[in-house]
Parts: sequence; structure tokens; C-alpha cells
Amino acid sequence: MGNQMIKKANAFEILNHWLLAGSFFILTITGFGFLFHLQQVVAIFGSANTMKVWHNYAGIVFSISLFFTIFNYLPVSLKFGVDDMGWITKAGGYFSKKAAIPPQDIINAGQKLYYLFILFAGIAIAASGFFIWLRPQVADIRKWVLLSHLVHNIAFDLFMIAVPLHIYLGTLANPGTLRIMITGTVPVEWAKKRHAKWVQKMGY
Amino acid sequence: MAKKALLISPELCIGCRGCQTACKAWNQLPAIKTANRGSAENPPDLTPNLYNRIRYVEMPSESNQVRWLFVSQRCMHCDDAGCIKICPAPGALFKTKEGATAYDKDKCIGCKLCVAACPFDVPRYDEKDKISKCHLCSDRIAEGLAPACAKTCPTGAIRYGDRDSLIQMAKKTGYAKVYGETDLNGLGTLYAFKDSPKIYGMDEHPAIPETVVFWHKVLKPLAYLGLGGAVAASLLHYVAFGPKKDEEVK
Ligand code: SF4
Ligand code: SF4
Ligand code: SF4
Repeated sequence: MGNQMIKKANAFEILNHWLLAGSFFILTITGFGFLFHLQQVVAIFGSANTMKVWHNYAGIVFSISLFFTIFNYLPVSLKFGVDDMGWITKAGGYFSKKAAIPPQDIINAGQKLYYLFILFAGIAIAASGFFIWLRPQVADIRKWVLLSHLVHNIAFDLFMIAVPLHIYLGTLANPGTLRIMITGTVPVEWAKKRHAKWVQKMGY
Repeated sequence: MAKKALLISPELCIGCRGCQTACKAWNQLPAIKTANRGSAENPPDLTPNLYNRIRYVEMPSESNQVRWLFVSQRCMHCDDAGCIKICPAPGALFKTKEGATAYDKDKCIGCKLCVAACPFDVPRYDEKDKISKCHLCSDRIAEGLAPACAKTCPTGAIRYGDRDSLIQMAKKTGYAKVYGETDLNGLGTLYAFKDSPKIYGMDEHPAIPETVVFWHKVLKPLAYLGLGGAVAASLLHYVAFGPKKDEEVK
């Protein structure tokens, strides 16, 4: 009984997560290469021109992958109730081991907010990126490009803050979490402590 | 090396456009087909094949019914250049030792951000999406020659030389202010204007777009600071509070 496992993420969700993460990684290092003219990074790609091709096409993968995350996370993230507020006021128990956290859905309130942030900032960075790349024929194109450039870089800065925290919370801070994005399964007992509402709904 | 510059005196210009032609000849730029717009000004705008053009401004007044101003329009070779600031490709846009804003088409990645960041709307891009604009004949001036436009100009409306001497000369000739002396840390294309710059179609106070300055001063450092800060905060949390061990989670 104690070793019973429960499926928390299916193969599609896992694959899509790593596509998003992989394209994000390429976008970030090429982005830093462009921002700071990092010759070592340019050298990896051979030339700034090839680096741009990597950046742009990784942007396509990122955008498609971001779109598919909607089906996995958006509906539940929009359901933000009393228990979610409880999680927030107790900061998820990250600053006090004694904090009693209300029962959570398949993803907790922090994960919901993180997802909404990724979706919002992801749409902003993708839309502004495509605008600069495709340069649609509009009046005042120079103003729109500058606005896109601004949005692209603000979103980038936000990603630089949020993603390391996400990686930390998904690995070091919460032992046993990373496997959800590898095998997709976790022990029922482990899930009960963290996603009680969902485990109950699943009939355990 | 002393900074070089062009000094343009619209009042001396007769609108012959020899400079437009000389520029094309030196830079091997093809002619452009244009349509009659009912104006002697031609072509109507800078293009990837037109680095320098004479803008015709009609300024009739009570005393002078046929006042025409001929203003050479081209890259201003800003010392603090918006195009260079925003360019993401190492070595695509750069300052030469003479102070010209030159470029290397092979290194340009065709993002066209420079087009948006230039305070003077100068850069254009060619059919291969590469930047194209006046480079102060950087190949000529490196050999001690004058740029093709200045060399051709028959009236002295476009003069080339040491920047400081040109400014002094203009001031001695009676121009209290030289356009571009201090703007953007000093332009490499200076103008001796008799009237307010606006009349000649130039911005009174040209500046790099605010979003570009904000990006350069705040957003760029924040990319590193944000990343470093988030990693540091994570490590700090790990040390101070530790992981959520399964046996501790209620
Ligand atoms: S300096 Fe050279 S490139 Fe620039 S406008 Fe004159 S001739 Fe053309
Ligand atoms: S005028 Fe425009 S293109 Fe020329 S140096 Fe200044 S910012 Fe760059
Ligand atoms: S179009 Fe070329 S020169 Fe202009 S900003 Fe982009 S890479 Fe730089």
C-alpha cells in the first residue's frame, strides 16, 4: 500500500515541458550573446547570423510549446479559491516548517501563479519577438519595433528571475518533485501531503 | 587621432546633387527609378542605394518669395549612436578612429533594430536585409582622402576636415551655433544653420529614443542581476530553511 504510485503527468505533458525548457535554454544563451556581444557564445554557433537563426527557430518551438501548455495548466490555474489564498498567506510553508498549508489541487497556488506568469510573459516575449522578426507593414513601424524591443527585454528580465526559482523549487527545495517531469509518477503518500484535493478526486 | 567631420552649409548649396552622384559612383550604388511628384526634389527619401540626398525645402517669405533651402541628409555619425547601442551583432556597426559610424554587412544579422533606434531615421536595409547607409566614405578617409560627396561639391556646401577646425571656421564665419556640436556627444555631420534647425527639417534636440536608453541603462544590467539574484536567493533559502523533506511535510 505504502509504495503505491499515482500518475501526475502524462507523456505529452512531460515532452512538452522539456521542449519548452530546451527552447528556452537556447533562447536564453543566444539572447545573452546578443545582449552583451558575448564572443564565446557566438563562437558556439559559428557566427552571429547562425545564432540569429537558432534564436528565431527556437522561438517558434517555444511558442508552439507554450500554446500546448494551456491544455495542461490553464483551467486549473484559473481556479483560484480560498485554499489557494491560504497557501499564499503562508508562503507555501517555505519560510516556516510548522505552517499548516490548506489542501491543494494538482498544482499548488504558487505553481498556478507561476504558470499564469509564464503564459503572460511568454506571450509577450513571443509576440514582440515575432513582430521584430517579421516586421509587418504598419504605419510608424519604427515606434512599434521600439515598443516590441522594450517588451521583449522586460519579459526577458522577468524570465531571468522566475525560471531559476522554478528550477530550485522543482529540484533542491522539494526532493521528489523532479521525477514528475521524468517518469510522471509519484507515490500516493507523497502526493497526498502536497496535492490532497487532487488525490482525493482521483479516488485515493 | 583628431576626429573628422563634415560641415554642411545649406546656404551655399545650389542643389546640383553632384554629391548624390559622386556617392553612388564611389560606393557603386545603382540608380533608382522614381516618379514625378511635382517637386524638383528627387529621390524623395534615403534608400539602401542612396546614402546622401539633398532635401529641397521651400521657404517663401515676404522678403524672399523664392527662398529654397537645400539640405544634405545622411548619417550624422553620432558619437553616442543609437544604432550602435541597439545593434545585437558584434562588429556589425562600429566607430572608426576618424569618428565615422561604419558597418560590416557580413556581420549584420538583418534584425533592423538600428533602423528604429536612429534619432535621424537614417539606416536603410538592402534586398539581403543588411544595413545600408552613409559610412563617411570610411574606406577613403582611412587613406587620408576626402569623402566622395565633399570632394565633388563645387560650392563648399559640404566640407570635410578636422572636426574642431570646422567648428571654429563656422563660428568665425558668423554662425553662433553649429548644429551637432554637442548633440549626442557630438555629431560627425555638422550643420551651419542660419535659422532654427526645424526650418531645415532637423530636430532641435535630437536624442536616442528613451526606451533604448532605459533598456541600455536598466534592463540590460537587470538581466544579469535578476539571474544572479534569483540563484543567490535560492541558495540562501536552501541554507537558511532547507528543503521540504518528505517526513517534514504535513
Ligand atoms: S560621405 Fe561618402 S558615403 Fe557618405 S554621403 Fe558622402 S559620398 Fe556618400
Ligand atoms: S545618424 Fe543614425 S545611423 Fe548615423 S550614427 Fe547616428 S544613430 Fe547611427
Ligand atoms: S540590422 Fe544589422 S546593423 Fe542594424 S542593428 Fe541589426 S545587426 Fe546591427
